[in-house]
Amino acid sequence: MKLAIKLAYRNLIGAGLRTWLNVIVLSFSFVVIIWMRGVMLGWDHQAKNDMISFEIGGGQYWHEQYDPLDPFSLNESNAKVPDEFSELIKSGDLEPILIVQGTIYPLGRMQSVMVKGINPNQTILKIPTSKLDTVVNAIPAVIGGMTAQSSKLSIGDYVTLRWRDINGTFDAAELVIVDVFYSNVPSAEAGQIYIDIEKLREMMIMPESATIFTFRNSEADWIEVEGWRQKSFKELTKQVDNMIKTKTAGQSVFYFILLLLAMLGIFDTQVLSIFRRQKEIGTYVALGYTRKQVVGLFTVEGTMNSILAAIVGAIYGIPFLAWQANHGFTLPIDASQFGMAMSQTLFPVYSIGLIFTTILIVMITTAVVSYIPSRKIAKMNPTEALRGKLQ
Amino acid sequence: MIKFLLNGVIRDKSRSRLPIIVVSVGVMLTVFLHAYITGFMGDALEMNAKFNYGHVKIMTNAYAENIELNPIDLAIIDVEDFLEKLNARYPHIKWSQRIQFGGLVDAPDEYGETKAQGPAFGLGLDILSPNSQEIDRLNLANSLVRGSLPANSGEILISELFSRKLQVNPGDDVTLIGSSMNGSMVMYNFTIAGTLSFGVDIMDKGSIIVDIEDVKIALDMNDAVSEIIGFLPDGYYNHKNALSIQDDFNSKCNNINDEFAPVMLTLGDQGGMGAYIELSQYWSWYITFVFIIAMSLVLWNAGLLGALRRYGEVGIRLAMGETKGHVYTSMIVESVIIGIIGSVFGTFLGLFFAFILQEYGLNIEGMMEGASVMFPNTINARITTMDFYIGFIPGVISTVIGTMLAGIGIYKRQTARLFKELEA
Amino acid sequence: MKAQIVFINVFFISLLSFCQVNADYILKRVDENMYSENRIVESSMTIHGRRSSRTITSLSYSVGDSKTYTEYLSPAKEKGTKMLKLDNQLWIYNPSTDRIIQISGHMLRQSVMGSDLSYEDMMEDRKLTDIYDSEVVGEELINDRKAYVLLLKANVSDIAYDSRKIWIDSERFVPLKEELFAKSGQLLKQTTFSDIKKIDGRWFPTTILYKDMLKQGEGTEFKMLEIKFNQNIPEHIFSKAALRQ
Repeated sequence: MKLAIKLAYRNLIGAGLRTWLNVIVLSFSFVVIIWMRGVMLGWDHQAKNDMISFEIGGGQYWHEQYDPLDPFSLNESNAKVPDEFSELIKSGDLEPILIVQGTIYPLGRMQSVMVKGINPNQTILKIPTSKLDTVVNAIPAVIGGMTAQSSKLSIGDYVTLRWRDINGTFDAAELVIVDVFYSNVPSAEAGQIYIDIEKLREMMIMPESATIFTFRNSEADWIEVEGWRQKSFKELTKQVDNMIKTKTAGQSVFYFILLLLAMLGIFDTQVLSIFRRQKEIGTYVALGYTRKQVVGLFTVEGTMNSILAAIVGAIYGIPFLAWQANHGFTLPIDASQFGMAMSQTLFPVYSIGLIFTTILIVMITTAVVSYIPSRKIAKMNPTEALRGKLQ
Repeated sequence: MIKFLLNGVIRDKSRSRLPIIVVSVGVMLTVFLHAYITGFMGDALEMNAKFNYGHVKIMTNAYAENIELNPIDLAIIDVEDFLEKLNARYPHIKWSQRIQFGGLVDAPDEYGETKAQGPAFGLGLDILSPNSQEIDRLNLANSLVRGSLPANSGEILISELFSRKLQVNPGDDVTLIGSSMNGSMVMYNFTIAGTLSFGVDIMDKGSIIVDIEDVKIALDMNDAVSEIIGFLPDGYYNHKNALSIQDDFNSKCNNINDEFAPVMLTLGDQGGMGAYIELSQYWSWYITFVFIIAMSLVLWNAGLLGALRRYGEVGIRLAMGETKGHVYTSMIVESVIIGIIGSVFGTFLGLFFAFILQEYGLNIEGMMEGASVMFPNTINARITTMDFYIGFIPGVISTVIGTMLAGIGIYKRQTARLFKELEA
Repeated sequence: MKAQIVFINVFFISLLSFCQVNADYILKRVDENMYSENRIVESSMTIHGRRSSRTITSLSYSVGDSKTYTEYLSPAKEKGTKMLKLDNQLWIYNPSTDRIIQISGHMLRQSVMGSDLSYEDMMEDRKLTDIYDSEVVGEELINDRKAYVLLLKANVSDIAYDSRKIWIDSERFVPLKEELFAKSGQLLKQTTFSDIKKIDGRWFPTTILYKDMLKQGEGTEFKMLEIKFNQNIPEHIFSKAALRQ
């Protein structure tokens, strides 16, 4: 076997440019596949990280009536903060959010919004809640970029908010937009206004009430609390998983074609090798190699292309992939001008498993493709082969 | 000489078969991949276009300003007349009327009183007219969960989840309570024909799809429609074309001082699609670029291999007294012929497979939780003009470069060694 | 000095209590004009849309504040639609669908026929004097009529508008204008009363303009075309069965 590998190596290197062309194409497959899978994984991480940072933290408790898609049920979907949570809230590892329905009137147009009351001193979410402490002559409010765009509001603008308190009594007040944040998370931005939770509780006459609770850590101890539903991180990010799944399915066709292309080169080379090296094959058989062993020799030689490719790929791939991971893949567009919910720079993430499976898949495919034309050797007549006669 | 070589290529199978096959396969892969990438990147865009934005969308100025509220009171009026003019001016664009509306859907009990009720998002589109393409456009037939598509006026589709919430089944009657174009409260009875899966929570929660004529009757929108969306002739979005149509339309018809004058938006103007369009263009370009380089290397290698295969033949020809230069030139001309033949074949095959994928789509149902309106369970390729020539770049050029490099060996040959090789 | 202060205090207190009585008295006089055992009203409602205005006519029968039955007469699209309000429940019957739909929950907050009035606004049937504390805060001229300005402050919590300001004609005791406020004091809605006529010996405003002050628009105009007090209204009209007839 050792000899076979040595021989295969010599043969390959001896073929010069031809080998290197195959190796370069194969190494492309390695690098491109790892990079693209890395981008997908990076996207997945980015989307989930943004959700963690701006919306879901490490997981949430929802009031049993709470349904973010049903604004009409909002005012009924809150309750007093349960005693079980008081410790966690005190330590800042759990933040209550009160969500109610309201109407804003930017420029005399009516627009329904979800008003979210949040602790200005919270540190779990990256929403700039500290700005809610600003002392101004109106209620300070923070909105996401999407709301800013749809309602044409910007920092410093005043807008009337009308709401109904727990008794159904109308109330209205001026809000002043103290900050606009961009999160890449539409569900944390669209149609939502953030204000101080204490202020909102006072406005609604709902003291100590909350609609959802957000954990800092995902490994938080879940306890059963009556009237509240646990929403795990996995459950909250299901939509992201679905999207990534679709994209990955679409990409795998691309990997397949890229591999097919590299294999075309390997296949062509193998066919020619066997055609040109009949004398050599005859000699091996004459020397006492079984046909199987000769087939093995040629298969090893073909497969070695992928090993060389892995090495070559590593030479230029590792710096490239590392550079990408650090600097990100910046989309050559200015997404912000569209107020769009997507990160401008994606940072690819490469897991060991991802690299390992990619290498394994390429090697196995190469081995199979090298083996197929080699089978022909088994049917050769050794004496004819030795004479180099075409068969 | 070309004719002679062409005959050689055609008659001598051993000389031409494998190289042509390799070039063809390579070119086929290039063409197919390009069409696939274009389709794959464009799918999300087309999905949005089909569901809501169109390639271009016409509405009134006032409607466009409040578009997220779906204010049907600001609809375009005298639609029949307007559509006629549109069709005359832009005959190649497929226009489609849409009305998005909100309301309540109320399911009656046996006494005709409210059994269950829920807020609904409604989409009115042309389901019933015989040559309407809307059913295919929205993948409605595949997304059916129960029942069937509406066949008569007064029949609607409702999201499956919603139907369960209201405890209604295909065949049951429900009442839509909404507000008419002039703001009155309207009620209208519909029969549920079937239930749908949309694949997006917010849509599955409470959506109904109603034939456009029914919506017009129900909401009192006589000869009025809130949106007219247009699809470009080949069915795919082209930002440049859309922009020029938009310019033409808005310069002719729009008047910013009249809040009810029609205005046209392109797909790129709506919902952040502009960024996505640019993004997908860059992605397609990157991927195609990487692939063409890889393809070129493979075909270059194939050129090298092809020349090596004919080592013996070259020896004989040199021995017979052909000049090295002549042999070299003839091989290069041959490789051009092989490159062209291979590229033509390959392009044809690539287009063929791409066409199949364009028409039927790649089924990824195994990875999805069933078909739905918003997430089609297929990925489709998309053939563009570029696919007709892109394969020739690696197909011809790389093959020729490969032969050229391999052919250099001819000049290094020594006559003495040739005869030795010929003995074999 | 001390005596002076005491005197001023006494003076203010007596003035205050005088006003208090006065406000209740004014509202009682208004009630005498406005309230009746029952009434039949034919009215038109003009809603100013952004594009056009439209008018809906209706005939309603009401007994006290708790029962109202309304049938829409025109336009054709609206004709035959009936609405029944019994205490705090509301049903609508629509002839083209032959359905009786109960309006409840958030539906009550929707506007009536696209107007600036919500169903909820129509549903309030508690007497103003029961749910608001009132006081006279001044006198003003409204359309050359001298009017008392009354400030009403809610004394119950389950109420839509925390306070109201009502201008009442000081001779005829009919409201001329009303403003509805949010808890914060923000003006939400405004109602103006005009075309005050003497009907059956009582002064009655026959045109009312409602306007949502936060929204753009011209508001909704309500005109009484014919009004009859204390008629003989058969009881069966206030039943769900009557809606289908």
